[in-house]
Amino acid sequence: MTRPSRFAWVLLLAGLYVGVPQVFGGDLYLMSNIVAALTIGGIALSWSLLGNLGGMVSFGHAAFVGVGAYVSALAVMKLGAPVFAGMILGGIGAALASILIAPALRLRGPYFALSILAYAHIFKIIATEWKSLTNGSGGLSSIPRFPEWAGFDFGSKTGSYFIVLTLVLLFAGIYHLVRRSDYGLALRAMHDSEAATRVVGVNSLLLKALMLLLSAFMAGVMGAFNAHYINFLEPDYAFSTLWTTLPIVAAIFGGYRTIAGPLVGAMGVYLVDQLVFKSLIPSGHQVILGALLIGMILWSPGGLLPPLIRLFNRRAHAQA
Amino acid sequence: MLKLDAVTVRFGGLTAVNAVSLDMPAAGILGLVGPNGAGKTTLFNAISGLVKPGTGAIRFAGNDISRWPQYRRARAGLGRTFQIPQPLAQLTVRENLLVAQRFGAGAVDRQRLDEILALVNLLAKADCDAATALSLSELKALEVAKALATDPQLLLLDEVLAGMESESKRAFRGMLQQVHERFRVGLLIIEHDIETISALCPRVVVLNFGEVIADGAPGQVFRDPRVIESYTGQATA
Repeated sequence: MTRPSRFAWVLLLAGLYVGVPQVFGGDLYLMSNIVAALTIGGIALSWSLLGNLGGMVSFGHAAFVGVGAYVSALAVMKLGAPVFAGMILGGIGAALASILIAPALRLRGPYFALSILAYAHIFKIIATEWKSLTNGSGGLSSIPRFPEWAGFDFGSKTGSYFIVLTLVLLFAGIYHLVRRSDYGLALRAMHDSEAATRVVGVNSLLLKALMLLLSAFMAGVMGAFNAHYINFLEPDYAFSTLWTTLPIVAAIFGGYRTIAGPLVGAMGVYLVDQLVFKSLIPSGHQVILGALLIGMILWSPGGLLPPLIRLFNRRAHAQA
Repeated sequence: MLKLDAVTVRFGGLTAVNAVSLDMPAAGILGLVGPNGAGKTTLFNAISGLVKPGTGAIRFAGNDISRWPQYRRARAGLGRTFQIPQPLAQLTVRENLLVAQRFGAGAVDRQRLDEILALVNLLAKADCDAATALSLSELKALEVAKALATDPQLLLLDEVLAGMESESKRAFRGMLQQVHERFRVGLLIIEHDIETISALCPRVVVLNFGEVIADGAPGQVFRDPRVIESYTGQATA
């Protein structure tokens, strides 16, 4: 793959931070869809970090999203924490919650996937039953929105867009650094030969636990962002399995072995579904998405991005 | 250095290793032989931490490591190779050693890494994909190099020469001798080939049905009637 130049990065960032709000900022419906797609993208990124680096398929990311959302909302509402501090606390809360599932890291493949699926439900039950704290299935309403800072309203659609975009780019940067580090190398090695990495001194269980912790933190922060963005939480929504399935679909669609793949996948899947398929088939539009996903897994199991990059490189070579 | 005290490993009703005691001095070379199923690899697995012994103690460099996890044993200076080579897939040859050095030895030392690669004749393939670009004897060399990169005091070599033709066997043997001398590392070698064992090891331990049946110089051990019987299955007159 040819490396994008520094100039291309500046161009991309300018487009995201200036271009998108300038061009689409007036269209509130489109902006809210973009914000939602980026939220899914951030969770998809966290999911694929665990899958790609940690080698674990998680069906439980809804738990981290929900815990992050509730911890942040409650920290702001009950303890009076500032919203941004609450979001970090939400991430920490989700990371702590992930420690509870750490014993299951000894399990492999479908066994891990199943145990984390069951585990995710525990938190939904807690959020429903601990009424004195969470108001049970009545939910939390009027969750404080993002504040005004230096004369700019972060609670607006465009403001929320800046926040979620920054979070997603930040997480992508962290992912990149981890993957490039010695730990990333060891994690890559563990994928196919865990026993062989242990006998050369790699504490594989600890590394996997750290990836789970990081992944949960990211998902928790995204959940917290969403809570302050929509200002309302209830257990069925906060822990909805959609927070697990949509990111998985997005990550696989885009290519979960790459960093950009889950983000591109989320933008593609969510925006196309909401803006195109939904207008074609108002109810049951997810059917098209399902069919596309099956086709994708059959014909390009590596996702959408790798063949696109190959195509792009071939074009670039042809022109050179 | 390595001291086994009545180590026993059971798998359900099968006793794979039965009360094996062994004392191996630092930086020596010891051969471990015995017919198939004698428990040699299981003993290696117990020493390196892949299986936990039911009873008995494994002492290494003064510590009782019987309950230590694998990675900790590796960091303490206990390296091993696998009978079926297990390269770290998706990584280059150099990255294989890099992971071993970074996590096993604690710090990256590129000069030493190149030294190891040169010693096992893999310098030319350093940047090749480890899982797909190597021949069998190169994969075996990578097993040794990877273990060496963890800076071990003792290397457990599980049939590293098996499957090679005699010429590369001799070359590999010379390489192991060099590894032993250059890095002052002890070698505990499982091997079937009597010529190789006799050439490399001043001392040989024979296992049969999980028990030590002979221990001594190769010339003496391979003439022991009990050892011959364990291989041929019949008593000699």
